[in-house]
Formats: sequence, structure tokens, C-alpha cells
Amino acid sequence: MDRKRVAGPELSVAPLVEYPVDRKCWIPQKDHRHDASRQPEDMRPIYLKTGLINQANGSAYIELEKTKIACGVYGPRSVKRVGQGFSGHGVLNCEIKFATFSCAKRRTNVRDPQEKNLSLIISQALTPAVRLDLLPKSAIDVYITVLESDGISSCLSAAITAASAALAHAGIEMLDLVAACSASYIPTGPSITATESAGSIASSPPQIFMDADLEEEKHEQGSIVLAYMPSRNEVTHVLQSGKAEGAIISQSVEHCVEACNKIYAVMHHALLESITENKSV
Amino acid sequence: MPSLISPAERDFILKGIECNIRADGRQRPDFREVILETGVVSQTSGSARVRIAGGTDILVSVKAEIGPVQVDPETGDGADKGQIICSVECAPSASQQFEGRGADDLNNELTQMMTRILSNTSATSSSASSAAGINLSKLCIIPGQQCWILYVDALVLDYGGNLMDAIFMGTRAAIFDTRIPKTEVQDLGDGQFEFEVLDDAEDTDIVDGREDMPICITLNKIGARHIVDASPLEELCTEAKLVVAVNRSGELCGLQKGQDGGIEPSLLLEMIQFGKTIGQSLIKQLDAMIKAEADSDLGKRQRGEPIHKLGFFAQ
Repeated sequence: MDRKRVAGPELSVAPLVEYPVDRKCWIPQKDHRHDASRQPEDMRPIYLKTGLINQANGSAYIELEKTKIACGVYGPRSVKRVGQGFSGHGVLNCEIKFATFSCAKRRTNVRDPQEKNLSLIISQALTPAVRLDLLPKSAIDVYITVLESDGISSCLSAAITAASAALAHAGIEMLDLVAACSASYIPTGPSITATESAGSIASSPPQIFMDADLEEEKHEQGSIVLAYMPSRNEVTHVLQSGKAEGAIISQSVEHCVEACNKIYAVMHHALLESITENKSV
Repeated sequence: MPSLISPAERDFILKGIECNIRADGRQRPDFREVILETGVVSQTSGSARVRIAGGTDILVSVKAEIGPVQVDPETGDGADKGQIICSVECAPSASQQFEGRGADDLNNELTQMMTRILSNTSATSSSASSAAGINLSKLCIIPGQQCWILYVDALVLDYGGNLMDAIFMGTRAAIFDTRIPKTEVQDLGDGQFEFEVLDDAEDTDIVDGREDMPICITLNKIGARHIVDASPLEELCTEAKLVVAVNRSGELCGLQKGQDGGIEPSLLLEMIQFGKTIGQSLIKQLDAMIKAEADSDLGKRQRGEPIHKLGFFAQ
């Protein structure tokens, strides 16, 4: 004990603190999720609200339980750099930044390669929806801040959803809203607990868990993120990592498309709400 | 590397692809001729050079170095695993646009894609499966302390379209060429270990699980059709591209959409299937090429003949 700072009696002992019992490990089983109230095909409840950032032309905040993301849209503005030459199309700049405290490991303030790559993915996912051909010589900036992350895949999909809601809120002409959704393939059954080598997992086909959280992501064999424009029936981005059979992929694409339709309804609702609120003010 | 295309040229390419004939006479699912050569750089543990006829020239080197194991602080995973660290660099000599910081975005995109498919820890982390077939546990020397780190570096020397596929072909060949020295671990008692690297050039380990390494097929959606192995001009007409990583048993090891266009879900599934079929047949051809070269090298070595390599930029 630090006698200089702690002026307690000589025989004092450290207090007994009761830690929450929730520390035990989650083991994937068939139809049994980390969050026991969810079914494999269920997403977390989504809270989406637009117009929370005053300075931005459009903004959105999304929350899927422990995943919390804020997004601000600025522009369209004229392209400052002269050297780039004339472009008949506008540019969509997306930048995602993880807050230093957002993940289990502290992140740095400088943009790391992963953030740069996610930024590129987000801009590729949103560009097909935005009418950039109507905005020559201009640029739109989308800034996304991840306040709390609960699984990278779900974070990425939530960021895309929030960014497209913010773009719509900014009044930028779009073909459709982009909804994004993630799914993880998690091997279930007894084999995973024994060994972690790839060979033992292959015995039973993995189960698809929609919108997996961090705890589930640790057990995943692979994951997919799908961005989709529901009313145009067009996939704007797909990102899959990890090994999987073709059948699993096509099945999870279908699941994701279905889930994106549900997210689309939430986005619609949030945008309608922001309009009615504006009217009442 | 051109960055602009005239409407007339775009129209020509678009209509050609619609009729299943491309500017260089190929059909939609045709690859250009590939030159593949291994063991081209003596300083590396394994190296390969890929040239796609018509331009793209890539040198991939694998260097095996000893380093500390990387343990994930959350899961405690990785104590008994080696690592693969990937990087892609576009040489400024390949194109004026790669000069200075011009290639940064492209380098980062390719590096991240490669890392995601090979080491599978970058964008979406996974702990259960070993990386892209390679058995990382075999790369561990002393669990919890030392392991082999494979640095996979791809250098783009010339640009002629379809970088990603060429990089993966090269990486697969370079990993096939990689020889890791054997190590001998001694137990000093009470948890202390010491190891020695044996410097016998004849008696080395291969990378375990190299046959299961995936390759990439990039499908470019132009109009309502999709093509493989696009040339630079075709890449400029591409609305959306889909990178499909597939291994020899037909499992998908990665999938990523690129560029600023959309794809219908039904077409997406069709493209995945198409990429899978093409990828599997390409892996067979590549394996035959690698095997033929290794056999001829071995024969020459046994007969004491010098081994001649084509070297860089050879057509």
C-alpha cells in the first residue's frame, strides 16, 4: 500500500469489490445469441434522429444499443483546389473517425489506415445514390464520428445508414436512401470449444447472425456488410471477409436485403419526423 | 495510367462488350496471357513476378523475420500464432500519377484489401479461422514469445489494368516459393525457452496450408455485362467492380465492391458464382505453372546446370 498517500490505519486491507457476474464468456450455440432476447435474424433496435448538429447542413445520430455514431454533412461547396481541373461531377468526401475512447483499445487521434479504408468504403457505398451529376465543380463533405463501437461490421453498416440519412436531411438530391446491414457467420456446435483450428469448424455449417455485436464478432468465421437501395433494388456496396461457402453468402445477402428494407422504414420515419418537427417550430 | 476517356471511346468499348468482343479481341470471360516466375530476388525468403501481357507488372516478395507474438488484449488470442503483414506499393516509375503522395490512396486500398483477405484482422476481425488457409500456428516458434512474421510486399512496376488479380497471383506464387529456416527450441526449465535458427539452406520448411491460399477475380460491370481482367481503358468505363476471393475448393474468402456504381442483388449473386468458377480454373492453371517451373528448376539443380530466369520486364 502507498503509505505516503493513503493515511489509513496500518492494518487496513483493500476493500472487497463485487464485480458484475456478466464476465463469463459467451459460447455460440444454435439459435442462442449473446443478447439472449434476440433471434438469429433479429437486429438490434435502431434509434435514428436527424438534425442534432446545428452547424451542419444535415446531420444524423444513430444508436444500435452500444453502437453510437454521429454524422454531419457539409456542402455542397465549391472545390477549392485549382490544380484538379474541371469536373462535371461533384465529389463526395467521406471521413470516418473513431473517437479515442470508442473501442476496447485506445485509438489515436491521427487517422489510421483502417479509418482511411472505411472512409473509402462508405463513400463508395453512398456515391451511387447521390446525384453528383447535378453538382459540377462542387464537393460534399460527410464527417462521421464513432462515439462507441460494438463490433466493426455493425459500426460500418450503421455509419452508412446514418450518413445517407444525414445526406437526405441536408436536402441533397439522391436517387434513394442507402440502408446498410451486417451479418456474421458463426460456427455453432460443440467443435468450437475444443479447438480453434479451421479444420474442426468445417464440420457443421455456420449459422448466420444478423447485426452481430462485439462479443459475437469474436467468434465469427466471417462477416458480410451489405449496403442497399431498397426502392431501386440495387446493392451499392458489399464487403465480405472470412471464409464461407457460396450458399451461405447468397443466403446472407438475401437476409441482409430483407433487413435493409426494415432499416429503410426506420430511416423514412426519422426523416418524416424531422419535417413535421420543423413545421411545428 | 490514363485518367480520362473520350465519350466515343467509351461508347466503342461499351458496345463491343455488349457484343462479347473487346478491343483486344478477347471475349468477356477471357484473361490475358500471364507470365509467372518465382525465385527472382535472392534476398527474399520467396519471391514472384507476374506480368499480364499488355502492361501490368508486379513483383511480390516474402520476407520471413522473427518477431514477438501479437496477443489480442481483448480475447487473449494470437499467443501461439505467427503473423502475415501485407503491403502494396505502386512505384512512381510505373506512372506519373503515382509520384509523391499520388499513390497513397491506391496503396492503402490495395493493402487493406490484401490484409483483409490474407490476415483477416483489418476491417472485420476474426479470431476463429486461420488466415486464408495458411496455418499460422506453424509459424509460431515459442508460444507467447517469438514467432515468424511473413512480410508480403507487392511492388507495382508497371500498370496495365487489373492490379488486384495480378497481386494475388503473385502473392500465391511467392508464398509457394517461400522457404522458412527450421528452428530448434530448447527447454531451459522453469518456463524458459531458447531457440536456434538452423542455417541449412537445403533443409527448410514450406509455408503450411499454401495450397489453400485464395486468389482474386475482379469483375468489372460495364453496362449490363461483366468482364474479367479489364484493361486500363475498360477500367475507366467500369461502373462497379466486384473483387471475389476464392480458394481451390471453391470457398469464398472475401468479397468487396469497388468504384461508384450499384449492382442488382440477383446480378451480384450471379457475378459471385461466375467469379468462383473462373477463379477455380485459374488456380488450377497457376498451380500447374508453378509446379512446372519448380520441377524444371529442380532438374537443372540436380544436373548442375545454371538456372536462368527471364527477369524483370521481359515480355
